Amino acid sequence: MSDPREVLDRLSSVRGLRGSALVSAADGLVVADSLMTGVDGRALAALAASLAIRLRRTVEAAGRRPPAFLQLQAAGGAVLAAPCGPDLVLVAIATTEANVGLARLEMLEAARRLG
Amino acid sequence: MADDIRAMTAQLAADPASLVFLELGEALRQRGQLDAAYKVARTGLARYPDLARAHDLCARILCDRREPDRAFEEWVTALELDPGLAAAHKGLGFLYYQAGDLASAERHLELAASGDPADSGVRAALERVRSRQPMAEAGAVPAPEAGSIGPAEAAGVPAAEGGPAPPADAAPELDGREPGGIERSVVAELEQGTGALLLVDANGLRLGGRLRAPDGADVSDPVAALLAGASREAARTARLLALGEWTHLAVECPDAHLVLAATKEGGVLLALRGPDAPMGRLARFAERAAVVAARWLEAAG
Amino acid sequence: MRSVEPWVAAPLETFLAESSARLTLLMTASGQVIAQHGFTRSLDVMTAAALGAGIVASTEALAQMIDAPRFVSLVHQGARQHVFLSGFETPRGRWIGLVVFDGESTTGLVQLFFDRLVQELAAAAPPAAPAPRALPQDFEKDLDQSLRALFGR
Repeated sequence: MSDPREVLDRLSSVRGLRGSALVSAADGLVVADSLMTGVDGRALAALAASLAIRLRRTVEAAGRRPPAFLQLQAAGGAVLAAPCGPDLVLVAIATTEANVGLARLEMLEAARRLG
Repeated sequence: MADDIRAMTAQLAADPASLVFLELGEALRQRGQLDAAYKVARTGLARYPDLARAHDLCARILCDRREPDRAFEEWVTALELDPGLAAAHKGLGFLYYQAGDLASAERHLELAASGDPADSGVRAALERVRSRQPMAEAGAVPAPEAGSIGPAEAAGVPAAEGGPAPPADAAPELDGREPGGIERSVVAELEQGTGALLLVDANGLRLGGRLRAPDGADVSDPVAALLAGASREAARTARLLALGEWTHLAVECPDAHLVLAATKEGGVLLALRGPDAPMGRLARFAERAAVVAARWLEAAG
Repeated sequence: MRSVEPWVAAPLETFLAESSARLTLLMTASGQVIAQHGFTRSLDVMTAAALGAGIVASTEALAQMIDAPRFVSLVHQGARQHVFLSGFETPRGRWIGLVVFDGESTTGLVQLFFDRLVQELAAAAPPAAPAPRALPQDFEKDLDQSLRALFGR
C-alpha cells in the first residue's frame, strides 16, 4: 500500500488543484491532507465524502457497480473524488483551470494503490 | 479485386489529387484492411475537407474500427456539407438503431430512402426498425441482435471480410451538431421512457423518462427518490466550498457512466450510458438535455 | 424546533437543515435545556439533558485526571444511530450540544456544522441581562415556562 503523503504530494503537482485529502469514507473525517491556504479541509472532506456516499447509493439503486470516480462541476471549480476501497475516499478541489483529465488519471492510479 | 486495388493505388500515387482515393478507400475497407483504408481516407480528406463523400468514407471505416462516436461526427459533417447524402443518413440510421433510439433511426432511414428510392437495403432496414418500434413504446428496447444491419449492409454493399462489428456503445445523440438532433432525442426519451434518461423534481418524484437496471427492472422511482438527495448534496457542497452554482455531476462506474445535470427549481436530470461513452461529451449532452427537458416540462404544463 | 431563547432559533434551524440531525439538544453545563428538536416527550428531553451533561462532566473529569486539556467533543458510534456531544463557550456561559444522527449524515458533517452553529450563536447572542435572583417558589414556574416553550403547549 502506498504512503498517503506521497499520493497527496503527487496530486498537488497537477495544475489547478487547490488541495487534496484522504478521507474516512464513513465519517467524512480527514486522514491526511495537502491543502493550499484558504481551503477548508474539514469541509472538503465531510462534504465530498457525504456526496460520494449518496451517489454510491443512487448508483446501486440503479443496479450498477459502485463509482470509481466522481466530478462535481460548478461555475467556480470542481470537486473530484475517487473511492479507495470501502473505507477511504481520495478527494480534491480544483479551479476552473485545472487539468481534470490528468487529475482523474492520477487519482484513479492512487485509488488503485491505496485501495 | 486485388488487381483493382493495385491499379487504383498506382493511379493515386501518380496523381495524389485524384478522387480515386474514394474508391480505393472503400475497396480496402471491404477487404478488411482498415488501417490502410483509413490512411487513404484521411489523406484524401486532408486534400478535400469539404467533400461529403470523403467524410462518409471515413465514417464507414471508423464504424468498422468500432469507433462509433467518431463515425457519428463524420456523418454529421457529411450532412452539413450535403444534407441529401443518402449514405450518411443510412449510417446515422444504423448508429441510432444500435443506440436504441428507433425514432431517430427511422427518421434517418426515411431520408435515405427518399434520396435513393431504389435502395432495397434501406427499405429492409426501415422495415426492421419499424417492426421493433412497438417494443420500444412499451418501454423495453431490445438489444441489437447478432447480425443486425450494418451501415455497409444498409447501403447494399457487401460487408468487409469478417463483417463490420456493431459499434460497442453508440451514443450518437451525444453530439449536438445534427440540427434538432438533441431536442428530438431527449423529448423522445422523456416521453417514451427508453430507460436511459430520468427527469426528477426537487422532491424526488419522477417527471419524465425512465431508468432500467441491467436486468431490465424499472428502477425509476427508487432512483428518483435518491437523486433528490444527491442534487441537494451537490448544491450544498458547491455552495459551502465557494464554488458557485453546480452544473453537473459526472459519475464513472465500471459498468456505466452517469451524469446528473441541475435543472430549474432544484430538479435533476440523469443521463445514463455504457462505460464506453466519453464522459466529457455525456456531460455536455446532459447539460443541454436539461435545458430541453425544462422546455418540454413547461410545454407539457 | 423549540427554543427557550429566541435568538438561538435561527442558528439552530440552519444547523438542523445542514446536518440532517434526527435529535438535537442544547443545554447549559448543568443540564438546563435551552433548545430541542426531534424529541416528542418532555421526559425524554429532561432525561437526555441530564445524561448528556453527566457524560460531558465525566469526560472532563477524566481529562483532568490524565492532565489533558478539556476534550472538545465525543462521538458514540451505534449500529444505526450515533451520538455527538460537545461542550462549547457562549456569551451565556458554557453550553453542551447533544446531536443524534443516522446514515443521512456523518460525523464529519455534524462536526462541521456544529462548529458553525457555535460561531453563529456567539454572533447572535444579545447582551446578557442581569440574572434575576432565583427563588424556590419561582423554580417550578420557570420549569413550566421552559417546558411550554420547548413543546409549544
